[in-house]
Parts: sequence; C-alpha cells; structure tokens
Amino acid sequence: MEQVEQLLKRTLPFQVVSPETLGNIAGISQRETFSEGDVIYSAGQSANDVYVLASGRLHHAITPQVNAKIHEKSLNAGDVFGWAAIFEGERIRLADVSCTEPVEVLRIDGTKLLDLLRRDRNFGDAAMRSFSQLISQQYYLPPSVANRVPSTLAAPATTAEEPGEPAAQMASTWTLTMYRAGEWIRSPDPYLMMIGFMLLLGSWYLTVEVFKLPRFEDLPGLTTVVTEWFATDPMYGLSIHTSEYYQHVWVSIRRVAIAFLLATALGVPLGLFLGWSRTFREYVFPVFELLRPIPILAWVPLAIIMFTGSETPVIFLTFLASFFATALNTMLGVESIDESYTRAAYCLGANRWQVFREVIIPGAMPYVFTGLQISVGVAWFSLVAGEMVSGQYGLGYVINTSYTMVRYPTIIIGMVTLGIVGYATSAMVRVAGNYMMQWRLREMALGGR
Amino acid sequence: MNAMLEKVKPRTNEARYGAIRIDDVVKIYDPEGAAVMAVDHCTLDIKAGEICMIVGPSGCGKTSLLNAIAGFHDITSGSIHMDGEMLCGPGKPKAEPGADRIVVFQNGALFPWKTNLENVAFGPMMAGKLSKKEIHEKARAMMADAGLSGTEHNYPGEVSSGLRRRVEIVRALMNDPKVLLFDEPYRALDSLTRSVMHESLLEIYYKNKVTIFFITHDLEEAIFLGHKLVIMTSRPCRPKKILEVDIPHPRDYSVLTSPRFRELLEETSEVVHEEARKSFAAGEKEG
Amino acid sequence: MAMNRITKIKRSIFSRSSLRAIIAIIVFLVLWECGSRSKEWLGHSLPWIGLVPPPSAVVLVWMDLLGDSGYWESWYLSTMRVMSGFVAAMIIGIPLGLMMAVSRTFNSITFPTFEILRPIPPLAWVPVAIIFWPTEELSIAFVTFLGAFFTVVINVLGGAKAIDMRFYQSAQAMGSSQWDIFRRVVLPATIPSIVVGSSVGMGITWNVVVAAEMISGGGGGTSGTGGGLGFFIWNSYVGGSYEQIVVGMISIGIAGYASSELLRGIGGFFTPWLKTR
Repeated sequence: MEQVEQLLKRTLPFQVVSPETLGNIAGISQRETFSEGDVIYSAGQSANDVYVLASGRLHHAITPQVNAKIHEKSLNAGDVFGWAAIFEGERIRLADVSCTEPVEVLRIDGTKLLDLLRRDRNFGDAAMRSFSQLISQQYYLPPSVANRVPSTLAAPATTAEEPGEPAAQMASTWTLTMYRAGEWIRSPDPYLMMIGFMLLLGSWYLTVEVFKLPRFEDLPGLTTVVTEWFATDPMYGLSIHTSEYYQHVWVSIRRVAIAFLLATALGVPLGLFLGWSRTFREYVFPVFELLRPIPILAWVPLAIIMFTGSETPVIFLTFLASFFATALNTMLGVESIDESYTRAAYCLGANRWQVFREVIIPGAMPYVFTGLQISVGVAWFSLVAGEMVSGQYGLGYVINTSYTMVRYPTIIIGMVTLGIVGYATSAMVRVAGNYMMQWRLREMALGGR
Repeated sequence: MNAMLEKVKPRTNEARYGAIRIDDVVKIYDPEGAAVMAVDHCTLDIKAGEICMIVGPSGCGKTSLLNAIAGFHDITSGSIHMDGEMLCGPGKPKAEPGADRIVVFQNGALFPWKTNLENVAFGPMMAGKLSKKEIHEKARAMMADAGLSGTEHNYPGEVSSGLRRRVEIVRALMNDPKVLLFDEPYRALDSLTRSVMHESLLEIYYKNKVTIFFITHDLEEAIFLGHKLVIMTSRPCRPKKILEVDIPHPRDYSVLTSPRFRELLEETSEVVHEEARKSFAAGEKEG
Repeated sequence: MAMNRITKIKRSIFSRSSLRAIIAIIVFLVLWECGSRSKEWLGHSLPWIGLVPPPSAVVLVWMDLLGDSGYWESWYLSTMRVMSGFVAAMIIGIPLGLMMAVSRTFNSITFPTFEILRPIPPLAWVPVAIIFWPTEELSIAFVTFLGAFFTVVINVLGGAKAIDMRFYQSAQAMGSSQWDIFRRVVLPATIPSIVVGSSVGMGITWNVVVAAEMISGGGGGTSGTGGGLGFFIWNSYVGGSYEQIVVGMISIGIAGYASSELLRGIGGFFTPWLKTR
C-alpha cells in the first residue's frame, strides 16, 4: 500500500491531490503484470481503467483517426496512460498499448477515480487539469481531446499547437458560484458551522440566563436581547419596529459613506502619484509617514477643536483613517507593478501619460481594492470611537448612551447592528472590485499562472 | 477582412531596415560607488533581417546591451546606430524607446487587464493614427495569421503560456518594427513547449522579415534559430566568438539531428561551458 | 573596509532622497507655524489650521513636560496596557490560528463564528467590557486584546494556509511524522505572517488603548484610576491646554512607531532566512 502511494505520488496528475485522496486512490488501485508482447488494450475498445506504469517499458500508439502531433511514444515507469477512462461522455480507447518488456502496472477504475477526485475539494480540480495538461503536452493531442477530461470548473486546457481551435470556454461566474454552493452544501461545513454558532449562543445563554454565573449575570442575556430587538414595544426604546433605530443606522452609514467617498476621491489619486513620480514621493511621503503613526483616535480632541459642530469632527476622523489606508495601498499597488509592463508600453510607443492611464491605473487596481476594503473597515472602527466620544446619533452613540443610561440590552443590539452593517459595506466594496476586475477574477478561477 | 489580409501579406519580402551597429559600447553600473562593468568595449554588426543570437551565462551583462538598444538604460561610452542613425552615443547616452525596436520580455509582458485582442491593438491605439475599428480589424487578421483565432476575447491569464508568448510577438509585429529584441523569452517554458515555440517563431519570421536580436543561454536554441551566433564572455560581457550558422533557412526540427548541427554544437559548447564556469565561480565569490 | 562603510553611511544621509525628506518636513513645519499664527500676522485666523497650536509652542510645552512625572506615568500606564493586551492576543491568537489551519473540522466550526464577531469594531465592546470585568484596568486590557486578537488570528491562519504544498509533500516523503511536519514545516513557515500580523495588531492596539482611555476616562463618565496617554490627551482637552494635546498625539505616535519597529526587529531575529544578502 505504502509503495503504491509512493508510486502515485511521483506521477503528474496525482502529485497534487491531498494525502487523504492519494490514500483512497491507492486503495482502489490493483497491481497487474504483463509479459513482453502482451497488448494491454487497443484502440476502439471501451475504456474503463486508467493505468500507471510501475516498471518496464510500453509502446503507446495513438490511432491515426485522432489528430495528434506525434502518434507513437514509448512509456516509462511513472507514466500515466489510459486516461480515456475518465473522459466525459463516450469512453473509447484512442491508442494501442503493448509491452516491449515485462511490465507491472497499477490499474485504477476510471469512474471511481473521478468520484474520488470530485470529492477532493481542494485539489481535485488541479488533478483533473493536470490530466488534460498531460494529454496535450505529453501525448501531443489537440485541446478537443484534452478538454474531454471533465473539469469541474470547465477550465480550458489550451495549447499553442492547434491553430483555429477555440481556445477557452469560460465558465460564467454564475455557474462557478452555483457549483461552489452545491459543493458547500454537500460538505460537512454547514453543519459544523451551525455547531460553532450553537456553541457561541449556547454558552452566552447558559452562562448569563440559566446558571447566572458571577459577573456573567450582569450582562444582558440572549433572550432579553432578542425579545428587545424584535419587540413592537421595546422596553428601552430601540427595536426593529422603531423609526429611531433606523435613524441611528442611517446616520452612521451616511457618515461612513461621506468619509469613505472623500477618502477614495483624494487617496487614490494621491497614492497613484506617490507611486508613479519619484520626485513627488520623495517630497510628500516623509510628511505622510510623519503623521501616520499617530493613532487616528488620538486626533479626536484636535478634530473637535478644529471643526465646529458635532458632525464634522466625526466625519473628519473617519475620513482620516480611510484616507491613510487608501493612499498607502494605492502607492504600494503602483510599486508592485512589474517594470516590464511599463517598459513594454513605452516600447509600443506609449507616452508618459498613456502609460499612466493604460498601465499604472489598471495595474494598481488589485491593491487599490484591497486598500478600499481595509479603508471601509477602519472607517467603521474610527466612526464608532468618534461617535462614542462626541457626536449625536449613530450606532456608537447608541452603544455609549445605553451604557450610561443602563439600557444594557440596547448595547448588544447596537453592537450586532454595527457588525451586520460593517460586514455588508465591505462586501459591497468586494463585489464592486470583482466587477471592475473581471480579468483578475477569471485568472484566479483558473488557479492563476 | 480579406482586404486587410492583403495589406499584411506584402511584408514577406526581404527586410531592408533594422541593421544595427554596436560600436565600442561600455556600460558601467555605479549604484553605490562600487563601479561594476557590465559591458566591456563591445562591437557588433547585425545585418537587416538577420537573426542574431547572443549566448552567454546568466547575468553576464547581455541584458544590459539589450536595454541599451531598447532605450531602457544609458550607456557609458561608445555608440549604437540603427540604419545609420544614432540611437545613443556621444552626447546622447540613452536611446528613446520606440515602436521601431520592440522587446519581448523574459516572463512575458502582456497586460493581464487587457484581452488578447486589446493587447495586440495596443501599439497602434497609442499611436492614434488609425480608427479603433481599423486597428481591431488588422489585429484580428494578424492574430488569425498566427493561429490565434478564437482567443481574441480571452484575457492572457486564461490561455497557456506558449500561446501568450505568441500573442506577445503578434503585438510587437502590429507596429511594423524594424527590430525585435528577445530577452530569453522561452526560459520559463518546458522543453516541449519551447520546441513548438521555436518553430512557430521561425514561421512568423519567414512571413515578416525583421531583424531579431535574441538573448539566450541555451546553445541549441541559438544554433537552431540563428543566422549569427555571438558567444559572450562572462561579466563584463564582450563578444568572445562570432560564428555564422551555415545551415540554410527555412529550417525545421529535422535540423536538430543533422550532422552540421552537431558539429556546430561541438565547436561552440566548449567555449560556452568555459564562460559558464567562470561566471559560476565569480558568482560564488560575490555571495 | 571601515572607511568604505562610513562613506556609504554618509552617502545615504546626504543622498537626494533624505535631503528632500528634510526639506519636506521643514516646509511642513513652517506652513503649520504660519497657519497657526495667522491670527497674529494676518489679523484673522485661517480656517481649521488657525485653531491648532503652532509647533514652536508645542515644543516649549513639551520641554516643560519632560520633567513632569505625571507625563512619564502616562507613558508607563499606556505601555503596560498595550503590552498586556497584546501579549494575551499573541498567546491565545497564535495557537488558535494554527489549530484552525491544521484541522479542517476545527476550522469549519470556529471560522464562521469568528467571522461574525470580527466586523464589530473593538471599541464597541467597551461598555460590555466595563460591565463584565470587575476593574476598569481589566476592561481596557480586554478591549486592547480584542483589537490585536482578530488581526493576529487572520494572519496566522492565512500564513499557514499559504504554505506551498510541496513542503508538506517533501517532508512526508522524507518520513516526517505529523508532529514533525507541524513543528518543522508549518510553524517556521508561518512565522513571517505572525510577524506581519503582530506588527499590524500592535498598531491597532495603540489605537484601541488611546480610545479606551479617552472613553473610560473622559466620555464614559465613570472616572476611575484612568491615566495613560489617551487620558492625558483628553484631560488636556478638557483643561483647555491645546499644546498638550499635540504633545500627547506626538508621544503616542512615537510610542506606536517604536513598538512596531521593536517587533520588526524581533521578527527579523526569528526569520533570518528572509534577509536578502
């Protein structure tokens, strides 16, 4: 068994699977020996098994009906053949395979193998892709053949050999999502996730409301919070049925939105110029670095002094946090662009401005969106602090005043609402990023380069 | 579409442009006071339409020479002329990068955020002389000619690496360059894909005769592709041996097994190996 | 050799980029000074900047404070709080992150819960922490801990998951046991991301400490023992000493920067293979 696993691990398609899957594949492999001159299978027969050559040499001749670049090939230990057994649709042998020496092979049932690979959520795809690569690169067959290996993501296995062959059929984002969702439901994950939630809520409920452990009993309990949150007539004045609740949510969202948009509008261009022009960076970046280590929240009193009213200081704080994150990440994004892209653009006759527009801006995009996601996070972070210290209305204000006025369940309502709204806004930024960077999404769906 | 093809085809005749003369070029890097000589009094003549293969150990300074021609770096002394016009030389240490000399990069530099078609169309779009429709039509025709139909709307990240290299060459040819500069473009490919790429490069070359300046450390690749073979010394780099490859073009893969190919390989491999050994020893000292 | 090194250092100090940095900072300070003194010079103060105390006044106030023991006590108190919260986050966060990376089942149970709690900003926990923990000191430490905790776990998990499969395979092929793989492959390969996570976490920790001190000492109303640099800033604001606010801000900036640098130094010591020649 051990030996079989070792052998499988040396072959191209099985190198990538998880140790667990490898063990399972070894479990369904059967050792067989053939003597010199034996024919293992010939073209036209139905294909049931995939083979791995363990020792000896084989002669592999692809039938002339298939358009292979090279038809004949000799196989050595570690080579994989008989891959027609995992094709989608009709499984018919495409080659004659005969032994030029006494050989030992591993025989693996194709249907069972496919099943195992499909179950390997992490590496099954890679193994199947590896099969189609093997077919096109080691057996010199056109993509039309290589693509018959079912690929869960419908990843194209294209090679340069076949002119005129449609190179890639891209799975739409939708099928991809559906596939992932289906896989997820079938895996143990959702149930384990429920266990996790149960543990969290259960321990909250038990410690606070059932056992009334010391210290815990002072906290608002699960049922109290839930009843309060959904009550039509809340005891402490805030539930999903009161307009005041939505007013607080709206005020917070509006503050974050203003600050975030302002930070993006100023931070992205600043970051782009910082990354692009060395002179500009050498003059401006030191000042930037001088201010950055000061925690955003240490600005609170200064912000209150500088800006009149209670609204502007909070927005200023929120803006400041977002601004630093956005500008810094955008600058890093520009610096991360491979020099050969800018050089290639200059080579192709682009001027400095065209390089900025066509290379610098799109090239920095992945980092910009990472920056924007961080920026939304820190925006909420400093908004809460700002609202707790100064400011009126808003979720941070709710949390703080509920504490001072001893409306404990409302504190939790405020916290949970913050979590939900915060998560939703960063998800929105992520979706916007994916929408704007189709190229990156597709590249990643195929496992990158 | 057909009319477009007609316009592409006439380039088949012999190249009249793209002769390069490298004259006594020296390149010294001086990053932190420690002067490092990369190119040492290098003189080289490349005829128009010739495939000139520069062979040398990794890091020997051949890329500095390519960067000087492309206009990415300046030179310390000497001069480089193209078709009698000075690219860089006394009073003008750095050449202007331009669409008449296009580099095909080591790791490929197709813009991953543009589709293959947009990549191919990039040069003419920047020049802005033709309308977008005309440019895309020409790009499609050239891609079809190079066997790239069907991949126009894929992003480079979605197609195989061999295919990407081919798109990159087509992107360069779109600009009617006089010289193509290859910086070890096939280094990262496996040997099978590489052999396919060699044939496809020659195929494209026979259709569009341009001067090719090709850097490599693979001697077989150099002999198979080149008209002229320049073996460089290890850092600083200077031509050590210049050789005309007298195997007639057009060539295909049968050349690899021909006796003349073997002879040339034997004749040169000793020289190359010696330089590689020197550079390895030097590298160990640096480390 | 020694001469060479000295000339190198000289070169880097007097290089174009450092000169430009110095010029930029001087220009910044001059603009700040002029903006702050606009009332004296122009007759009416500029918006925003006109209300900020000028750097010269800040420096004078700072000089006085250097001999003040209360100022240094604020430093000490904040540093201790940061350290306790941060160390707790490391002690709990690193093993948790590693366990989530190693065991799929554990990951499936804990990760979604973790992701649900993560978007709640650490400061929103302040009132709950005050209700729950018996002393104010503990509640500040708890919120500080939360600030660093999530970042540390996410980084450790990400780092352990990003390990090249080939490392596992080669370790397995060489006959390593599960424990060996964990100790000799997973752990060292994760150290770089632990370092990154902890230096980011450190930044958040300072943020949280300052805010927690301000909220509990100032806005919160329940004035307790308080203290710390955040409290120092808030107190200066309430007392109307605007120069001291800026001194406090700069002090926290220095403290945060120094602790991040310290962490980076320690991290560099643990990851010698990341140093380029």
